[in-house]
Amino acid sequence: MNCSPTNLAKKRYTLRLSLAMVAYIIFLFGAVYAFKLSHPTGVLAYTLAILPALPCIGIFIIAGKYLAEESDEFQRMLFTQSMLWATGLTLSFATLWGFLDNFIPLPHFQMYLFFPIYWAITGFASAILRMRYR
Amino acid sequence: MKNRIKVLRAERNWSQADLADKLEVSRQSVNAVETGKFDPSLPLAFRLARLFELKIEDIFNDVPVDHD
Repeated sequence: MNCSPTNLAKKRYTLRLSLAMVAYIIFLFGAVYAFKLSHPTGVLAYTLAILPALPCIGIFIIAGKYLAEESDEFQRMLFTQSMLWATGLTLSFATLWGFLDNFIPLPHFQMYLFFPIYWAITGFASAILRMRYR
Repeated sequence: MKNRIKVLRAERNWSQADLADKLEVSRQSVNAVETGKFDPSLPLAFRLARLFELKIEDIFNDVPVDHD
């Protein structure tokens, strides 16, 4: 009963997401320590710098796989709508900040923060949508 | 879309969770379809019809539902 295709898809998604998060933490701390201890340069520096980004990019692939594997069309619709809200709001914020920053001196915005912002909005939108369809 | 799922469930003494298990979807999905907030795809409508041993048009009525 607990292993319907929709539950299996969610379990796989959660497992893959957890693995990606573990990889992210390992790569992030690894990169930070490597830069602190040995001040790498050249290709090694570039490789270490992008390592923490790879699991983050992987999370988008994981989300895509979830959508492909989720057999429950309503759950697919909720997830897709949540991500569309996040896409719209995150890109709107990025565009607004970009134009403001162009004309007015503003604190530099760390670009990597768009990733957690995107997923925070996705989570928030998902909760709101679930309430709407309750 | 208006439908008779709640009545059909009650006749069989099935909860939303029972119907969700039979359809292999989540309970929220059954609730969204039952309350007319989410229109099912044709394949899901056929699965519902087969489960209730009825025609799709005996379950769904395409008169618009006012959500407000």
